[in-house]
Amino acid sequence: MTALRRIGPALLAPLLAIVTALVISGLVIVLIGESPFAALRVMLDFGDTPAQQTQAIVVIVNRAIPLFLAGLAVSVAFRMGLFNIGVEGQYRLATIVAAAAGAAVALPGPLHVLLIIVVAMVVGALWAGIVAVLKVTRGVSEVISSIMLNFIALGLASYLLTGPLRGSPPGASIITTAEIPESGWVPGLNGLLTGVGLAEPRTEMYGFLLVAVVAGLMVSVLIKRTRFGFDLRATGLSPSAATASGVDARGMVLKTMLISGAVAGLIGLPDLLGTSHHYGTEFTTGLGFLGIAVALLGRNSPLGIALAALLFGFLDRAAIPLQFEGIPASVVTIIQGTIVLAVVIANQVARQITRRQAERGSAQAVAPPSTGNGSTGGGQRPGGGPPPDDGPTTGIGTGTGVRNASGDARQGAGA
Amino acid sequence: MYRLDVGEDAEERPPDRATSAPGGSPNPCDTHRTGPEETPLNEPAPLAVELRGITKRFPGVVANRDIALRVRRGEVHAIVGENGAGKSTLMKTLYGMHRPDEGEILLDGKPVTLRSPSDAIAAGIGMVHQHFMLADNFTVLENVVLGSEPTRGGRLDRTTARRRIREISDSYALGLDPDTLVEELGVGDRQRVEIAKVLYRGARTLILDEPTAVLVPQEVDELFGNLAELKREGLTVIFISHKLDEVRRVADAITVIRRGTTVGTADPRTTTAGQLAELMVGAELPTPQKRDSTVRDTPVLELRGLTVVAGGRSVVDDVSLTVREGEVVGIAGVEGNGQAELVDAIMGLRPPTSGAVALAGADISGWSTRRRREEGLGFIPEDRHRQGILLEAPLWENRILGHQTRPPSVKGLFIDRKGARQDTDRIMREYDVRAPGPDTLALALSGGNQQKLIVGREMSARPRLLIAAHPTRGVDVGAQSVIWELLKDARAEGMGIVLVSADLDELIGLSDTLHVMLRGALVATLDPARLTPEELGGHMTGAREVDA
Amino acid sequence: MRRVRGMKAAALLLAGSLALAACASDEPEAGGGNGGGSSAEELKIGLAFDTGGLGDKSFNDSAYAGAEAAVEALGGTVEENLQTLSPNDDASNRAELLTQLAQQGFDPVLAVGFNYDEVIGDVAADFPDTTFAQVDGANSDGSKGENVTGLLFAEEQGSFLAGVAAASKTETDHIGFVGGVESPLIEKFEAGYVAGAKAVNPDIVVDVSYLSPAGDFSGFGDPQKGKLVAQGMYQNGADIVFHAAGGSGVGVFEAAVEAGKRAIGVDSDQYLTAPPDQQAVIMTSMLKRVDNAVEEFITAYADGSVEGGTDVVYDLESEGVGLSTSGGYIDDIQATIDEYRQKIIDGEITVPTTP
Repeated sequence: MTALRRIGPALLAPLLAIVTALVISGLVIVLIGESPFAALRVMLDFGDTPAQQTQAIVVIVNRAIPLFLAGLAVSVAFRMGLFNIGVEGQYRLATIVAAAAGAAVALPGPLHVLLIIVVAMVVGALWAGIVAVLKVTRGVSEVISSIMLNFIALGLASYLLTGPLRGSPPGASIITTAEIPESGWVPGLNGLLTGVGLAEPRTEMYGFLLVAVVAGLMVSVLIKRTRFGFDLRATGLSPSAATASGVDARGMVLKTMLISGAVAGLIGLPDLLGTSHHYGTEFTTGLGFLGIAVALLGRNSPLGIALAALLFGFLDRAAIPLQFEGIPASVVTIIQGTIVLAVVIANQVARQITRRQAERGSAQAVAPPSTGNGSTGGGQRPGGGPPPDDGPTTGIGTGTGVRNASGDARQGAGA
Repeated sequence: MYRLDVGEDAEERPPDRATSAPGGSPNPCDTHRTGPEETPLNEPAPLAVELRGITKRFPGVVANRDIALRVRRGEVHAIVGENGAGKSTLMKTLYGMHRPDEGEILLDGKPVTLRSPSDAIAAGIGMVHQHFMLADNFTVLENVVLGSEPTRGGRLDRTTARRRIREISDSYALGLDPDTLVEELGVGDRQRVEIAKVLYRGARTLILDEPTAVLVPQEVDELFGNLAELKREGLTVIFISHKLDEVRRVADAITVIRRGTTVGTADPRTTTAGQLAELMVGAELPTPQKRDSTVRDTPVLELRGLTVVAGGRSVVDDVSLTVREGEVVGIAGVEGNGQAELVDAIMGLRPPTSGAVALAGADISGWSTRRRREEGLGFIPEDRHRQGILLEAPLWENRILGHQTRPPSVKGLFIDRKGARQDTDRIMREYDVRAPGPDTLALALSGGNQQKLIVGREMSARPRLLIAAHPTRGVDVGAQSVIWELLKDARAEGMGIVLVSADLDELIGLSDTLHVMLRGALVATLDPARLTPEELGGHMTGAREVDA
Repeated sequence: MRRVRGMKAAALLLAGSLALAACASDEPEAGGGNGGGSSAEELKIGLAFDTGGLGDKSFNDSAYAGAEAAVEALGGTVEENLQTLSPNDDASNRAELLTQLAQQGFDPVLAVGFNYDEVIGDVAADFPDTTFAQVDGANSDGSKGENVTGLLFAEEQGSFLAGVAAASKTETDHIGFVGGVESPLIEKFEAGYVAGAKAVNPDIVVDVSYLSPAGDFSGFGDPQKGKLVAQGMYQNGADIVFHAAGGSGVGVFEAAVEAGKRAIGVDSDQYLTAPPDQQAVIMTSMLKRVDNAVEEFITAYADGSVEGGTDVVYDLESEGVGLSTSGGYIDDIQATIDEYRQKIIDGEITVPTTP
């Protein structure tokens, strides 16, 4: 019961958002003269043959993995009130450097992969670290600096790709880094799928899924179970209270951005290690920005982000069958956009519901008047503002007299 | 900020008093037929508001039970009670924000049903909230008409609005200029804008929820002047407060509410504050009574020439003091004289410009806040919402706050959830924190319970030195005495305490040594054993500086 | 309806030179394979776009126009016989687009853009009975499979002529080039343009600028930036600017209008689609007839004459690239242009493909 009450509002917001978005999108589909129900049917139709159905799942999961990592990276910073808009630049730079590093060495399988992962995380962390250093030393807003660093990262990645790290032959339409040798590849998980009785899909499910799951678990434990995570969340909830409790705000900014950047460094790896084996001009871009939407939708919890990423993957896959039905792919973009928009609103609603429930909850606990133990009754005050000033209720009349009349001395002013 | 549900129907009922001239109307909401001047003083005036047997239940709790309230037309009627006694619930019922489960509401003797604040406004009831709901960048006029704008041809009719607001302002001596921006107004003026807003919508009965909480004494006087004007014009004021002196000054009648029900009425002319307080808490009022001195020789905190410069001036100016084991050192002073900065400097939240801080003999000037806490500094902050708790976190996480590196809340690098929950349970028990359990969000607790949690948490770490800044501010009488007892017990066990307070009785009653802080400097050291609140007040304002 | 369409198909069959056997089967895949023919009834053309999708007013739309023309010429309709797929916003599902088209029985499947280089080979291998084609993608060595045809353009040859035109018409001996994205493909435009200009006037100054670096495709859809860069060139003394920047080209035209200078369009005859004030400044356009290539490929498929495993190169000789003459601004130098054109066709001039 209590668990349900705790999870209820957490699920309510995204569900509300998704339903709202579906209704709006349905109206859009009606406006362009198609049937929203047909669209829904198409979206839910994974194909005729078992192989096609498994393939659909693989497509969704493969799309969801980088989105999950991107959402995770954003959420870590978000939990302490930092907006890491720079995930985009962090992963682009991390991926190209990791791709080049992976191509430059030859190591036994697991070590090779490990090296690539470590390089990517370090590059991502360092790039995010610049944002943190600027913030703690110069007070530069992380939003501004991370956006600016995105531009620099993109330019830098392009320079590296076309210059020192170019591995493709001149004249090739797509410029890429050199290919990572096979020891640095992460094998797919199709064996796992067929192992549980599913039909063999056409493409491999990214083996990096396992790394993503581990990353999600680690972030989850870090945020929820460790002292560091507590400091991080406390800072996010109330920077002033966290500082007063002994949290070093500057150090937290630095550490959090490093972690966020390190996770961001992983975003490009599922594709890099799973299929492409090199970074190139056609490498998927924009995942960092999508990550912000995914983190919002997932309410910054790793599990929520995983679900949000799968939802985005599902919608993304649906774009193709929808086009077969004559519904433009942009409908999917509309759905995704309205979901994110709706989730911001729904989060606020859910938050208020949580608060109200919390207040009710406290009212429940307070002993009913009949017990006659001097209970002060339930806290009926709406949350948010400072408490009313009870003043020194000494009953003699001297206590209230001395107050600075200048206005500095207002107690518990709610203005 | 602005409540959009306010004033939807106001246009239908202009507040022009001419329309409420005596005359029959079938509309039960259309009340206020009788001018107060017609009522002879000796005869009881008709009841403007009467509540009979109001009961309001929330799931699992009865917030209001069998409430009886009789408010006569043209009086200031105070409702007093402790925090959480059910005053707010009652007022929400009267303002239509929720409906009672039992009982009836009568306005001018006629039963009414209030489904929403709009109904209440239509029935002539207005509410002035404790926290103002004004748009800063709007003018007084715009704020007042917001939600019930007079229009002419689809555009805001400023001329009419301005004339009406001037009329209201003049009738009740509110002294408002319709074209001033609200952001340029002081707190007192803002409150008058709120009052004007309610009057503009035609209210004949005003509910003022803790109106003096945000005011300084002069502004309180002004407010009471305004209330007198309202009364003179025949309006009814329901005044919610727990400041007994103010209540006795301004009210014509008092209803006391305790534990969700009305326990009695009192005549302010014949009732003492003590009697009222007794009625409120159902027991004798606690006052801090000092026990024998427990001061030992070992100093726990020594400040040497501590100076904090901010904005080009010394907000803390060369402060030196010593706190010994078992000693309570009080810092008295009018707020804003550097007490907050002094506390911050001791806690390591603000770097001192010069001077040294020593804890148990060790120079801690260069230590981080965390290390200071680990080495035995406890902290009850002045503003608990800002520095003391995480409102949106459960109690057990608030138990950890400030003690992130120490058992029982942590195990190594990890949070010990079980340990923290168990210890939160213990604190809730031992320190009388009333809450459903450790998983309750802190925001669900009343101010007093939040403060008891903070006190319990800080005490549990057994600090060598506790900084208690306004430890009983904003808590009810019951919690106040609990906190006082806890501080005294801790002192007896040898804890050194720095007590910063604006409550003179608290300072005199608890301190072993009293310093007076004025403009950043300690200007007097007094013996609380031979000090009256009046004398201390004189020192604080600098009037007695020469004598000291 | 179906009867009518069926009759049309029959008429088409008669007109076509193909054996009737192929259309006897109802199996969608049956007509596939290299050199297989098809009727309009069975013609199910799949067209997969690149970033931007349908409605990009650039190469995607051009490819669509070609497919549309082919379908209609064969007696079919766009609704019945042509299926287009646009990729998602970041175009990460290119492989999936081709797979889905092939899986649903579309044949031929055309991919638009060199970005399909990475994926088309894999998909083609999975569907050996389906005929694929890739616009801007080379398969001369057959490495993408025997069922893939590359539809290539000699952009450098057309650009060479644009350079000749610009160098002949400039009054300041100073011209400019605005590339969308600094990719090998756009560099081909630059290389040809510069070579053409230098051929006329070895001392000519050519300003070259790209709107976005490799890997960042924003340069094809950023008119604001295109305008800014072109403004800089005009202020710098250039009086003719050639753009190979897709949607950003509008900005170049705007800058030309404001500066009172001239510009050269790209891909299609942009004079025809420009508003009147811009028509005055669009001296010519370097034509890259993606539409023609797509149309011809589909027609060839219907004829059963697609070879596969090779490239079809659209150059000056085959009139896959060239210069437009709308507006008549280059009529006076037509002789010069034709002279260079002939030299390139004859192999007297070899145009470089890299700057």
